Amino acid sequence: MDIISAYSTKDAIDEIVKDINDQLGFFDTELLVFFASSKFAPDEISKKIQDSFPVSQVIGCSTAGEIAQGKLLNNSVVAMAFNSGAIEDVKVELIEDLSDQAALKKAFDSFEKHYGTPMGTMDPQKYVGIILVDGLSCAEENLMENIGDMTNVIFIGGSAGDDLQFKSTYVYTKGKSYSNAAVLALLKPKKEFTFIKTQSFRDLNKVLEVTKADEAKREVLEFNGKPAAVAYSEAVGTTIEEAPKKFMTNPVGLIIEDEPYVRSPQQITGSGSMTFYCSVLEGTELSLLESTDIIKDTQKSIVQAQEQLGSISGIININCILRTLELKQKNLADDYGRLFSGLPTVGFSSYGEQYIGHINQTATMLVFK
Amino acid sequence: MPGKIKRLIDSIILQRTHDNPMLERVIKTKLILKGINPNKYTFESEDDPIIIAKLEKMMNELR
Repeated sequence: MDIISAYSTKDAIDEIVKDINDQLGFFDTELLVFFASSKFAPDEISKKIQDSFPVSQVIGCSTAGEIAQGKLLNNSVVAMAFNSGAIEDVKVELIEDLSDQAALKKAFDSFEKHYGTPMGTMDPQKYVGIILVDGLSCAEENLMENIGDMTNVIFIGGSAGDDLQFKSTYVYTKGKSYSNAAVLALLKPKKEFTFIKTQSFRDLNKVLEVTKADEAKREVLEFNGKPAAVAYSEAVGTTIEEAPKKFMTNPVGLIIEDEPYVRSPQQITGSGSMTFYCSVLEGTELSLLESTDIIKDTQKSIVQAQEQLGSISGIININCILRTLELKQKNLADDYGRLFSGLPTVGFSSYGEQYIGHINQTATMLVFK
Repeated sequence: MPGKIKRLIDSIILQRTHDNPMLERVIKTKLILKGINPNKYTFESEDDPIIIAKLEKMMNELR
């Protein structure tokens, strides 16, 4: 096996690190990806995990819940190790300050120097990126857009969480923790890989055109020429007061080739505008969505990936916290975990997902043959 | 001069996709996420400086 996963539900960081090391210690780890409950002190968990894998490239982030093979967890640490049979090479770069406009270019300069190939000519079937971003930064959209402008290589990933406290989230690398930051890992896998982007919604064919927005604040002021809250409430068939109860089941989506790129409502403001967990561009036509069956859709996606690759040796699953909450509400958390039984899987409940752009209420997965 | 947006979109797709249909879908998705739907522009479409600036940046940024 070239990809193995581990997890620990111990309470103390030293016990966690020993537990993970006991499970992975014999493995010749080139890259370790780990996700840690926000209950663990960020500097300490990052340092001790890196210290126990001193020669490995290590990346990770804090979470709103963890996923390990067959289970949705809380208060744990999960880890996936890749050896040289899985990846030919990996380079990790840190964007330490997301407001630094030059930081991404510097990171890409470093990738190009390491691999000896311009990012613009890298074959997206031979290279793949993993991105983990501070989930409270509101910087994901610009970062993904700039990455997409500079390369055809797909960067897939998620926004770090903090167990629904919304105070501070962290990304981890090189034994440290960082806020207002992003970690980018550019992999040259030896194994074939593919992506899953799955969201469980049907398009209700009710158009909400963004006629006025403050894109930087992720705020829609008007849909269809009306105050956003009015237009949304009318579309879902309820009052403005009751509309927040519909947010989870009825987000909106930018439909691209029949597939929604979901934008989840966050709140209605005093002025009748709506904020979202994702930037919404003025002039965009969004569709009102209705939730469907997460279990069925996720299972179908895994089967399709399996058919495409022939077999699956590892999955990194970044699953929106809103999906996790919905699964728990419906008592389906165990059913969801079981979808991954037998497939080495790690992941976390995220504050946003990245695949081509920044999206919500989606699971984005990197799947290895 | 009308049609510049269409010409830029066509150039980007040509520059980036190398006749790969999967890549073409990804590039078109990137454009739509920027608020630029390739299907909505023709050689008669009026120029929009904001859209043109976004497209020129995308063309120039490919490393």
